[in-house]
Amino acid sequence: MISETLLRPARISLVAFLLAFGLLVGAVIPLHRQALARAGHSFEERIWLLPPPPALRVASLGFHGMAADLVWLLTIQYFGGHVSTDMQFPELRRMLETVIALDPDFVEVYSLGALFLNYFARDVRGAIALLEDGARANPTRWEIPHDLARTYYLDLKDSRQALHWFEVTDRLSGRPHYVPRFIARLYAATGERDTALELWQAMRDSATSEWVRELAMQEIAKLEGQIADESRERMR
Amino acid sequence: MKVQAIALNTFREAVRDRILTSVLAFALLLIAASAILASLSIGQEGKIVKDLGLASSSLFGTFIAIFLGIGLVSKEIERRTVYTIIAKPVHRFQFLLGKYIGLVLTLLVTVGVMVLLVVGLAWAVDGHWTPGLLAAAGLDFLALMIVTAVAILFSTFSTPTLSAIFTLAIFVIGRLSGDLRWFAEQFAGPGLRRAIQVLYLILPDLSRFQIGPQVVHGLPLSTAGIVWAALYGVVYILVLLLLAIGVFQRRDFK
Repeated sequence: MISETLLRPARISLVAFLLAFGLLVGAVIPLHRQALARAGHSFEERIWLLPPPPALRVASLGFHGMAADLVWLLTIQYFGGHVSTDMQFPELRRMLETVIALDPDFVEVYSLGALFLNYFARDVRGAIALLEDGARANPTRWEIPHDLARTYYLDLKDSRQALHWFEVTDRLSGRPHYVPRFIARLYAATGERDTALELWQAMRDSATSEWVRELAMQEIAKLEGQIADESRERMR
Repeated sequence: MKVQAIALNTFREAVRDRILTSVLAFALLLIAASAILASLSIGQEGKIVKDLGLASSSLFGTFIAIFLGIGLVSKEIERRTVYTIIAKPVHRFQFLLGKYIGLVLTLLVTVGVMVLLVVGLAWAVDGHWTPGLLAAAGLDFLALMIVTAVAILFSTFSTPTLSAIFTLAIFVIGRLSGDLRWFAEQFAGPGLRRAIQVLYLILPDLSRFQIGPQVVHGLPLSTAGIVWAALYGVVYILVLLLLAIGVFQRRDFK
């Protein structure tokens, strides 16, 4: 009965259409899997094939901000992928340099990129170079000289350079209230742990992302542990 | 009055065009998707929504301007409706101006919808209102008006396909003119440098209308810069329209 209804001449085209549609939809998933398996371009290969910044500038037709955002999202993907696997970041610096070549005013890339390079890729010199590029491109923004001072102070233990960059920060509008206090302490060469603790606390309080907040909280916990150990030692 | 009637008719015709509806739907989808994409960034949601939103409205606005603009005059000639219009007491310049204003009105509505979505999303993400976005969108719209005038100029004497290619080429050169001049200053010899400088002065410099990056980064905007760019845009549009009217007046419809 059903087959008779379906085989009516008027219904044949509809049945053929539905069959063809069903077959094609059914074929899409296995074909997609095959295409993925045989594509030959992994995420890493796509990163290597990323064109140099001048070519990207031209290709983005003047929409440099949008191009920088897309490369930044790729950078985060690349960084996250390696943090959860081998902790090796050979392309990280090139990707960060591409983002800032496309959008030199993207201040957060200097700050976050320096954190990526410093605390994960263990490339403190790369972090300093990135921040110095940022300070040159954005001479009115206090965040970058502040991050430079923090990196010199906490990671390179270079109080002279830290003092210089805190003084640069102090001249810029919008800088945090504690900067003059740090300058005074650096001149007096006292209160190292307190300064470090306060710097990390400031970073935790001003963090715009959970990831940065967590990093700062880990360092605060470490420092507080050290301070507690020291005071216990002194009590004995 | 005649210009207004033609403009309203062009607007109604354009709004009924399925290309316009599908491009607008796609643009709105892309702008809305930018909010999802932005959530993958580390604390940069506002910047990404604004960058992608402004770029999408500008790019899709340009597509609409080109693909509707190139057919404005040639379609009338193809359908032979132009004969009935120019047989009436309507000057050719009124016909062309009406067409141009009608398309600009269409763009104003479509780009306006896109920009409203961008502003709303930016507000939702940032938690505060960014008035600079409207200034950026306004200047971008002036660039779109130039592209529309270029499309109309080409459509007065060329086929739709060629008009689309020429207009797209002018758009690309216009967007890159700042970079081209920089490349010439850095690498070209004196002859080529001069040639590029002359081209730079003649062709529309669409990069003048980009204040999006300053707005997105919260940098101060130069009022004088905006006023000069707007004046440059208005005068450039008038020159293009005069050229288009000149060509259209001389065209023989036999």
